[in-house]
Amino acid sequence: MRLEGEFTFHAPREAVWEALLDPAVIAQAIPGAERLDRVDEDRYEGTMKVGVGPVSGRYELRVRIEEKEPPERYSMRIDGKGALGHASGTAEVELADEDGGTRMTYVSDLAIGGRIAGVGQRMLDTVARSMTQRGLESLEREIERRTSGS
Amino acid sequence: MKPPPFEYVVPDTLEEALEILAERRSEAKPLAGGQSLVPTMNFRLSEPGLLVDLRRIENLAGIRGTEDGGLEIGAMTLQADAERSPLVAERTPLLAEALPWVAHAQIRNRGTVGGSLAHADPAAELPAVALALGARVETCRAGGRSRWIDAETLWPGMFATAIEPEELLTRIRFPPAAPGSGFAFRELARRSGDFALVGVAAVVRLDEDGRCGMARITLLSVADRPLVANEGAKVLIGRIPTPAVIVEAARAVAARDVDPPSDIHASAAYRRHLCQTLTRRALTAAFDRGGDRPGHAGPRWRAGGW
Repeated sequence: MRLEGEFTFHAPREAVWEALLDPAVIAQAIPGAERLDRVDEDRYEGTMKVGVGPVSGRYELRVRIEEKEPPERYSMRIDGKGALGHASGTAEVELADEDGGTRMTYVSDLAIGGRIAGVGQRMLDTVARSMTQRGLESLEREIERRTSGS
Repeated sequence: MKPPPFEYVVPDTLEEALEILAERRSEAKPLAGGQSLVPTMNFRLSEPGLLVDLRRIENLAGIRGTEDGGLEIGAMTLQADAERSPLVAERTPLLAEALPWVAHAQIRNRGTVGGSLAHADPAAELPAVALALGARVETCRAGGRSRWIDAETLWPGMFATAIEPEELLTRIRFPPAAPGSGFAFRELARRSGDFALVGVAAVVRLDEDGRCGMARITLLSVADRPLVANEGAKVLIGRIPTPAVIVEAARAVAARDVDPPSDIHASAAYRRHLCQTLTRRALTAAFDRGGDRPGHAGPRWRAGGW
């Protein structure tokens, strides 16, 4: 499953970069995230609960950050698994200055397997996109809260 | 595949069912026709602890005309019964045209109108039709309390509704069709009965001067919920719906109203293409049926076809 898009944060690039790599901020932003810990310099582990209508399940998530070029770009190696299926793949994130903000461009390519891929195929793209959108919007709010509060 | 263990009750009255839902709201799930819920349980995608079967409750099924010329359908009315109802065909022809597209005949023999609306599958026909017609649904909760929810606010997201866990959808009301209205439903699926790749419902009204006075276009299977295509409708308002205007509206829908998903059945680009083609076809048919005269065969400009 390929997911790509753009999102504009109303915050300076350094602040966005920092937030994107801060597990506390990301845990706030990911819909259904229950826990996210930095286990190593560039490795994160967590659990999230994803519910779509009657179908819900808990997933374990592992993320490794690779090719970090602050505050421009980084890529991630993502592995997730849960009762209903598993996902693994990569995601690339790029940040660029934009009028009064930061434009983020992202591309992710995930191989999804298990029951959720078999039965839920026709919903995956829509669910992933709406979760990404919700996640980015709450990340934007979280960044705004942090930059205005400090 | 077999479902995980669950409890099962068949209450005799609505009040009894509502009390059970209020008491065990976190684990109870109402069972209507079971045509979507039971497969998800069999795949073990959902594991409700208690099924509250609604089939014995009296007065939850039935179709009747309302005094204002609209239609009321009980939530437990079988889709097959609505499909064959002369009253549905007369008062809500859009619904009549869409019903044969709901899954297969065997499923419509068990599946209910209310069940489909409450299940909120973004690829389902009935929510898009209810949204196009400006329907409202009544929900009830224990203690005799009820409220009406507009189709416009009924579906906040995928498989999600504004109905609370302790509420039951009891009936659906369709407002009367305005004079001069025309309706059409178009859909494309890979095989008959499959989930739609894209579906379009159109409701239009032609004013006496031949201009479009009202247009409402809804789409299914292009978003996380049924979608209202406002940009496409805007193109039509106040204009004579010539084939060129209809194409312009269909293009607006495909370009500005939708951002369809990709999956193994169809790419986003193909779905976008279908949005344009099916919208053009639905609008053409709807305008053709619109106008204010009985037995009206469509405005003269239609003679050239499309």
